[in-house]
Amino acid sequence: MSVDLRDRMQYLLNLFLVNLYKFCSDIMDVEYITVSKVTDYISNIFRSDSKLKRVFIMGELSNAKLYPSGHLYFTLKDDDSQISGVMFGAVHRLKFRPKDGMNVLIQGRIEVYKDHGKYQLYVNKISPDGVGDLHRRFEQLKKKLYKEGLFDESHKKKIPNFPERIGVVTAPNGAAIRDIITTIKRRWPFCEVILFPSLVQGDRAASNISYQIRRSENFDLDTLIVGRGGGSIEDLWSFNEEIVARTIFDCTTPVISAVGHEIDYTISDFVADLRAATPTAAAEIAVPPYGEIKNAVNQLNSRANLAIDNQINDYKHRMDNIVSKHLFKNPSEIYAPKEMMLDNIVSRLSFSSKSLIGKNSNRLELIKNSNVFKDEEYIIKAHKEKLLLELSKLEVLNPLNTLKRGYALTKHEGKIVSSSKELKSGDEVEIEFKDGNVNTMVI
Amino acid sequence: MADENTSFEDNLKELEEIVSKLEKGDVPLDDAINEFEKAMRLVKSCDDKLKDAQDTIAKIVNENGEIVDFNVE
Repeated sequence: MSVDLRDRMQYLLNLFLVNLYKFCSDIMDVEYITVSKVTDYISNIFRSDSKLKRVFIMGELSNAKLYPSGHLYFTLKDDDSQISGVMFGAVHRLKFRPKDGMNVLIQGRIEVYKDHGKYQLYVNKISPDGVGDLHRRFEQLKKKLYKEGLFDESHKKKIPNFPERIGVVTAPNGAAIRDIITTIKRRWPFCEVILFPSLVQGDRAASNISYQIRRSENFDLDTLIVGRGGGSIEDLWSFNEEIVARTIFDCTTPVISAVGHEIDYTISDFVADLRAATPTAAAEIAVPPYGEIKNAVNQLNSRANLAIDNQINDYKHRMDNIVSKHLFKNPSEIYAPKEMMLDNIVSRLSFSSKSLIGKNSNRLELIKNSNVFKDEEYIIKAHKEKLLLELSKLEVLNPLNTLKRGYALTKHEGKIVSSSKELKSGDEVEIEFKDGNVNTMVI
Repeated sequence: MADENTSFEDNLKELEEIVSKLEKGDVPLDDAINEFEKAMRLVKSCDDKLKDAQDTIAKIVNENGEIVDFNVE
């Protein structure tokens, strides 16, 4: 209930108390009135307030019960207040099944229910608070599946780069399939597209989508695109249903989800192997661009040719380098230095042998020319001179010369006596003088 | 070996590997020439596939599970 409404209630209550007091004082002395009269009075006050005749209230349903009479009774509440409500003939007028906990938007009036002496909400129109309610459900399911690990990166399958057969689960008459086929035709016309027609909005859409995804598994697809074009959150809702999320998760074909526009995120987007912002974007992800691939092949072709040309040229260059070497052109240069070396050795050899011979023949010549060979007397003469010299030296030492100076020489039995001990008494000795010998006897 | 049965993707990948190897220039000439010939076969195989551009075939699986042609519009 809005704050505004509560203030208004409070105001009315005050007004009512003031009037009641006045009323009571008026009648106090006069008469007692019935409960019905009081209630009527109160009821009239409610009815006289134009704002209460047409209220717009949002709140959460509780104790909602559809009676066999066809009326719906319920309590509408928020965190602080509550108000009873009733919708007559609800069974024919309701477009949804009211459930406790559901957020609803109600248009109606507030009146006093005299039987129970309380005010209540009479519903003219009731509808689920779509956005608020859906948002909560979305967050709840997202949290649940996240905890179960359905969004884990580890489960994500790789989308094939060069698919040959792509499946699409979407409406056969929507813009999505048209966009997808157009895009694939333009980018990668080698690919087959198989449509698995499905409802994409309404109550039966979720189970239908799920059925078609399972069915697609039998068609040997490389990639599966699941999605639809843009719409309101209610339109896209089937892609937020648990059954769709689980079927996508279980699908063995890599799944690209493509629901609505860039800004729309659905549970399918989280659980799919890849999320595309739009169906066109899904087709662009699903197939490679022909032109770029063609260029890539051409480039690889030229790079291969260039690489091999470079290598061959490199070898050629090395060969040319070797062949053009000076030595190859002038092979004599290989042995010319050796020849020179040989010549050098030969010349040195002949020079040295000549010089050896020359030296020795000189020596021979020298020998030949020596005095010995010129004069035979030369040697004899030289020796004679030497002999004479020796003789003169001998002359100095001659003992006879000593005798000439008065000395005498004593001999015994022909030997010179140099000591007195060599002689004994009676020995015959010979004394030699310069001019003759004397024989005598030792006494 | 460029083989009709290997996928376009495998052929393209092998071609890329061979070209990078050739560009390094450290493959002995005899091997390089073999690799080059292999690369040329792969280029041809990829080109053949790319020339083979038919119009995208769009089909629909009907309620009976039969695949029939699907025309947009």
